[in-house]
Amino acid sequence: MKVYAGLDGGSTYLKAALIDEYGRVLRTGVTSTGIDNNASAKRLLAGLMEACGVSRVDYTMATGYSRKILEVADDDVSEITAHAYGVRVTAPKEYRSGMIVDIGGQDSKIIYLDANYTVKNFTMNDKCAAGTGKFMEVIAQILETTIDQVGPLSLESTAPCDINSTCVVFAQSEVISLVARKFDRRDILSGMHLSMAKRIIKMMKKSEKDGDVLMTGGGALNIGLRKAFEDELMRDVFVANYPQFNGAIGAALLASERG
Amino acid sequence: MSDDPVRRQGPPEERRRQRFISKSSAVSLKYLRRVEELPHMPEALTPFLHILGHVFVEQGGAVKPEHIPTVGTYCVMVPPELIYAAGAMPVKLCGGSYTAFNIGDDVAPRDACPLVKAVMGFETVGAAPVYRECAMIAVPVTCDCKKKLAGYLGERRPTVALHVPSGRDRDEDMERFVEELYAFGAKLTELTGAPLSYERLSWACGLTAAAQYELSRFITLRRKAPLVIKGTHYMAAMNAMSYTHISLWTRHMRALCDELEQRIRNGEMASKENRPRILVTGSPIVFPNFKLPLLIEEMGGALVADETCMGERGAYDPPAIVDQSTDGILRALANRSTRPCTCPTFVDNKRRLYRIRQMIEDYRVEGVIYHVLRGCLVYDYEYRAMEEELGKLGVPIIRVESDYNEEDVEQLRIRIEAFVELIKYGKR
Ligand code: SF4
Ligand code: SF4
Repeated sequence: MKVYAGLDGGSTYLKAALIDEYGRVLRTGVTSTGIDNNASAKRLLAGLMEACGVSRVDYTMATGYSRKILEVADDDVSEITAHAYGVRVTAPKEYRSGMIVDIGGQDSKIIYLDANYTVKNFTMNDKCAAGTGKFMEVIAQILETTIDQVGPLSLESTAPCDINSTCVVFAQSEVISLVARKFDRRDILSGMHLSMAKRIIKMMKKSEKDGDVLMTGGGALNIGLRKAFEDELMRDVFVANYPQFNGAIGAALLASERG
Repeated sequence: MSDDPVRRQGPPEERRRQRFISKSSAVSLKYLRRVEELPHMPEALTPFLHILGHVFVEQGGAVKPEHIPTVGTYCVMVPPELIYAAGAMPVKLCGGSYTAFNIGDDVAPRDACPLVKAVMGFETVGAAPVYRECAMIAVPVTCDCKKKLAGYLGERRPTVALHVPSGRDRDEDMERFVEELYAFGAKLTELTGAPLSYERLSWACGLTAAAQYELSRFITLRRKAPLVIKGTHYMAAMNAMSYTHISLWTRHMRALCDELEQRIRNGEMASKENRPRILVTGSPIVFPNFKLPLLIEEMGGALVADETCMGERGAYDPPAIVDQSTDGILRALANRSTRPCTCPTFVDNKRRLYRIRQMIEDYRVEGVIYHVLRGCLVYDYEYRAMEEELGKLGVPIIRVESDYNEEDVEQLRIRIEAFVELIKYGKR
């Protein structure tokens, strides 16, 4: 059996995936990036290999912010390409190739694909954290809950609050004032998801709005955010399998084309 | 205190000037080095880089014979022939300096474009001899930023606002522009004492014709072999034109073409055959603001063509002089500087789409990077039409917005790298 590895070095987490020559995901893993990226990557990969009982990896591809410094990798590729490749493996069967909405910790991006999953174009927001996982974390903290609870809690909302600021700092103070005015935190959370979804939808190219939408990245795990997207776009939104590992899986798939 | 190494001499204004000079020299030097470090630089590029170094690092004046006064111009619509005929020399002053931008930022409104902010910065701080030594300035009234710039400069020194027609299909508009050129000519004569006679004008047309001849040779070479020179190197040569006497520049260009011809004969290319071939269009790219072309080539793209007003757009055909008289020449110049121009400040600018389509074919372009300087509305407006047009051709395009600072370099890098990959992986 041939084994290929993909590494996705983000700002806070380092993610890895092993796949076989048929593009099946063998194992995924995550660790915090730490100070020594390279050592963390080596440890993470070794752990995954051991868990799968394999002794060698045929080719390793890196992506993400720290991809250039991950010496364990044989080559590297940008996140856009990696994500576009990843969905070939992670997209649910019903998904027709169209648009990927990736909501990561520090940035979110939209990738437009043609029918063959080839990248046609992309838009990114990376100057402002509003519309990213980091933003969700900050708000969860203010509302004294955890990141995995924000989704389920928001689904219970009956009257979502308005959160209009497009900047994290202002949105944060808006939320604080909503708390002070004794609004239900479920309504605040629901409002937050709607405002995030709106912000990201604004980034979408008008000409490309018809394709199916697939969510990837840690943000895709948030059921509340997914519902907000569906409400705002007024249609179904798909969620990738292993959404937070999509970049790593894509990198591994690219590796399999090399080795 | 005089031996304090960081304390400058003189009154506060002067100290600010000195700091400005050392800072802007350092930035320019850095970019000049990066241009030099790009592999496969033709030897004949060196004199062009010396010109940029002379002006931006050593802070010398324009490169020219000593006795000739200079006239500052902006855009591509001020016919250089008029200025040469009057015995002066044009220097194109569209600014690319981050340091000057920072100063101009305090003078211009927030949403003004950085190019104009840089110019205002140079003007305010009074450094950079290329700016200071100009005996007169001519600003075409094109976009809003240029219009207000004309006003700003007009309060400070002899300035001519050249009213460019915003349309070019009606005879009255062209008529008015010819009148503008006459008025500008009269100002030039006032400055130098030399009347714009037929002889002088046709002599000046000969000067620019020689330059255009070399440039068209260059363009032909590059169409034949898009990879024969790096785009950044080409842009450096084109930028140097703004600060050099045209005869001198023509000589350097001839040498460059000779070397490129030799390269083609030897089968020597400046880039690998399979690199994605990219065209840049959009807001002007003025040295030292070279981050975009440098990033494209550093990230593995081949910058094969540029449709910006510092590049090929300045390289129109020579004026077609129908009527061999002073008036005939002025009319020809008025036509040449507006009709074929693809500047988005014209009401109707379909020819830009044609030009791009043509260039995509000529240079076998595989992707287009659309550069928008923050606040440059006219270019941003035309993005949509361009995207639609290229969509029909199946040529990918991305819009990248940038400002005059280095804070956005990483954002630009991610986008450009992904774009280069998009073409690369799309090919397979
Ligand atoms: S694009 Fe047009 S208005 Fe802008 S600098 Fe160039 S010629 Fe002038
Ligand atoms: S065309 Fe754009 S870059 Fe040029 S002066 Fe006008 S706003 Fe500035």
